[in-house]
Amino acid sequence: MSAVYARRRIVNVVALGLSGVATLIGLMFLVWILWITAQSGFGALKLSLFTKITAYGADGGLSNAIVGSLIMDLLAILICAPIGILAGTYLAEYASTTRLGATIRFLNDILLSAPSIVLGLFVYVIVVLPINSLTGGAISFSGFAGSVALALIGLPVIVRTTDEMLQLVPGTLREASLSLGIPQWKLTMQVLMRAAFSGILTGVLLALARLAGETAPLLFTAFGNMYMTAHPLDKMASLPQTIFQYTNDPDPALHAIAWAGALLITLFVLALSLLTRILFSRKKVSYE
Amino acid sequence: MNDLAAATAAPLTGAAVPAKIKVRDVHFYYNGYHALKGINMDIPEKQVTAIIGPSGCGKSTLLRIFNRIYAIYPKLEAKGNIELDGENILDPSYSMNRLRTKVGMVFQKPVPFPMTIFENVAYGIRHHERLSRADMEIRVEQALRSAALWDEVKDKLKQSALGLSGGQQQRLCIARGIALRPEVLLLDEPTSALDPIATGRIEQLVEELKHEYTIVIVTHNMQQAARCSDRTAFMYLGELIEFDNTEKIFTKPGKKQTEDYITGRFG
Repeated sequence: MSAVYARRRIVNVVALGLSGVATLIGLMFLVWILWITAQSGFGALKLSLFTKITAYGADGGLSNAIVGSLIMDLLAILICAPIGILAGTYLAEYASTTRLGATIRFLNDILLSAPSIVLGLFVYVIVVLPINSLTGGAISFSGFAGSVALALIGLPVIVRTTDEMLQLVPGTLREASLSLGIPQWKLTMQVLMRAAFSGILTGVLLALARLAGETAPLLFTAFGNMYMTAHPLDKMASLPQTIFQYTNDPDPALHAIAWAGALLITLFVLALSLLTRILFSRKKVSYE
Repeated sequence: MNDLAAATAAPLTGAAVPAKIKVRDVHFYYNGYHALKGINMDIPEKQVTAIIGPSGCGKSTLLRIFNRIYAIYPKLEAKGNIELDGENILDPSYSMNRLRTKVGMVFQKPVPFPMTIFENVAYGIRHHERLSRADMEIRVEQALRSAALWDEVKDKLKQSALGLSGGQQQRLCIARGIALRPEVLLLDEPTSALDPIATGRIEQLVEELKHEYTIVIVTHNMQQAARCSDRTAFMYLGELIEFDNTEKIFTKPGKKQTEDYITGRFG
């Protein structure tokens, strides 16, 4: 008997050790990335980053890229959040067991893992080119087109989280509402949405965090801009794209600015993650 | 309708009290599986009818036909006649809205809506009636009083219902159901998730509510059926084995299967 227990104890220690080492390896790279980003980024952080535009190059800042990113990210969320929430609601409440629902879910998962450069090219073809020919070449690349591309990144995230969060709401809540004679649409909008609210909001914030770091969808859509603009039909600069350009430049001064930009995005995403954590832990509706 | 009643087996009933619900030759199918096999029974008005039986005997299934809540799921099918005040509720033309205002339901686990205590009760009323603010407050208070919850929550009506204890939540669900002034109240194992003290309060409440409502309670707990019901139905394997006065069922059951069950020989 004791031999069996000794063997089990050894197996346990070995398995625990292996999984611990695996965790450490994963965490080590994360910490390493964050460390280098923080070290290089904080070193390059200066006030002119927020006041000067990228047109001055190494003597300039990132103000137009920051403004461009904020505008495009927010516009993208405004586009994809309503569509994603409604689509997720349809999946969870009206198509949870149907073949159509299963098909949509499958396609949504494909969109979730679609290469972002492909989405950028797609928006180039369906938004940039038609606008260009409609306006006789006056408008081509635009912040709006960039937002549409980013919205396609965020959409499947929101569809999926909304679907999952609504499915987590217990069926008894549906039965209880329906047995009061309340119709399905009211039940969905007034009871289930409320029960799943913090989860759905978390999905929206996760989508925002996800699309805020994307570069590829913007290359063929927003194009980039050295000057400050807030007009969504102008070519627009963004942080990820500016980082991408500056790191391709031989000038080390531009590398430093790129690090600072990378730090800003990282801090933005970190803040969003913290916010979602706080929202999800505080407002969570729990049904035992 | 009388022809139909005569054509099927005589309904099992125990008393001369008028029947609120007449169940005639009801069959139920889960995706083809024959779960209820020709149920006939008369549920007496303003009395408590308990349905007991081992797990899977079909007691909850039967209860869930009385307000047609089963119909929200695909591939479930009920056949036969269930007359509520003489009208067949299984007739597709019978309004679901009307049925569910007449027949309220309370579930096994308390499911308060993610709203304030006040809104939990007012929500259902608001869908069916337009009341002034003052009238609504009166209605909500009446419902909470009837559910023996008013004194505990009157100072925190604006707080979330999710902060109440399990027993309070279940009484809130009963308040929510009776706020619509139904005629029948269906209770599906309403105390199985509650502690003995909360269970006692609910049973006491059932005793009080039967003066105004026809109550059907499904329970796993035989003592509960014995304590708070007037009539008891024993079901087994999708059939109604025996339906009689509660006292008779628990002292001199007419069928061997009933006796085996209540004496704990199986179940």
